[in-house]
Amino acid sequence: MVNLHTTHGTITLELDAAKAPLTVENFLNYVKNGHFDNTIFHRVIDGFMIQGGGFEPGMRQKPTGAQIKNEADNKLANGNYTIAMARTSDPHSATAQFFINVGKNDFLNYTASSPQGWGYCVFGKVTAGTGVVDKIKGVKTGTRAGHQDVPVEDVVLQKAEEA
Amino acid sequence: MPYTLFVSDLHLCPDRPAINRIFFDFLRGPAAQAEALYILGDLFEYWAGDDDDDPFGARVLAALRGLAGRGVALYLMHGNRDFLIGKVCAEKTGANLIEDPTLTELYGTPTLLMHGDTLCTDDLEYQAFRLQVRNLNFQREFLAQPLAERKKKIEIMRAKSEATKKIKPEATMDVTVETVEAQLRNHGYPRLIHGHTHRPALHEHQVDGKRCERWVLADWYTSGSYLRCDAQGCRVVKL
Repeated sequence: MVNLHTTHGTITLELDAAKAPLTVENFLNYVKNGHFDNTIFHRVIDGFMIQGGGFEPGMRQKPTGAQIKNEADNKLANGNYTIAMARTSDPHSATAQFFINVGKNDFLNYTASSPQGWGYCVFGKVTAGTGVVDKIKGVKTGTRAGHQDVPVEDVVLQKAEEA
Repeated sequence: MPYTLFVSDLHLCPDRPAINRIFFDFLRGPAAQAEALYILGDLFEYWAGDDDDDPFGARVLAALRGLAGRGVALYLMHGNRDFLIGKVCAEKTGANLIEDPTLTELYGTPTLLMHGDTLCTDDLEYQAFRLQVRNLNFQREFLAQPLAERKKKIEIMRAKSEATKKIKPEATMDVTVETVEAQLRNHGYPRLIHGHTHRPALHEHQVDGKRCERWVLADWYTSGSYLRCDAQGCRVVKL
């Protein structure tokens, strides 16, 4: 279990180490070494997802660790309030950035072990604080530093800790 | 002085009337005085097939036909959005459909023309998608479906593509330098003009001791511009 203490309240995550062992281990490492502390949810799209784990306030990108293998073939669906790893178009390129689905995003699910089919690895879900997620997804957003859908007022993940 | 114009990534659709006005003015203005106009892909936001009788598409094709009728040589290249533009459409516009890549000579300078998507070889997901949709059997099967079905499928694909772009940690992908250099080497170290990445710029590549210019064209999402080339070289003109 991980608590994300944010400016809008606390989000509690239950992580599925059985279905996504490498992803959960990777995420917990970032939690333990304080990587997520004082980062922002830098991309918020109501009805789609809220994304964080990559930038400090001021849109300063944080350096990350090594890329991890995609475990989306665990068949966990990108349902509402699940947490998944962000990545580039390289299926096995996830590092620190994650997103919480705020909708039923089936099109993000694994369909095949091909560049197009890999999907996005779900590794847990929100078990408390869905109201906080709902508050975050509704914030006003705009374009900042060339990035779109950035909250106008920073939504800060002040501290992430194992519960 | 005779000149040739290059544009790409206009993504024309009914939703951006201001841009459409700029485009039609462009065809009546600078393009009408050019020797040739090259459209290097993604003229349309999407193209579902030459049987699309949508009035907006028809208007664009008619305007291009008008340009060709004035003696401007018109060249169309497929982009990643409008690769289903076929012979029927080309005939309607009076345009020549050209291959990607095409090597031509522009006022004495060998010039390689590309849309640019094949240069983004690090975008594995896109390259896999491209392999599938550029397959002629796939296209034949797709075009055999009713127009309304095709439009629906395209809409879903676009929405998914836009959505997954927004989960990517970095901004949109750029060309892979090694791939660019290989193309320059294979084609005799020409000047290269392409679009697709929406990162307009002039780059210089040193390949095997030879200097090659790479011009990247701008998209027309928020404003129009074109690349003008004549015997003295190329320059960007903003509309």
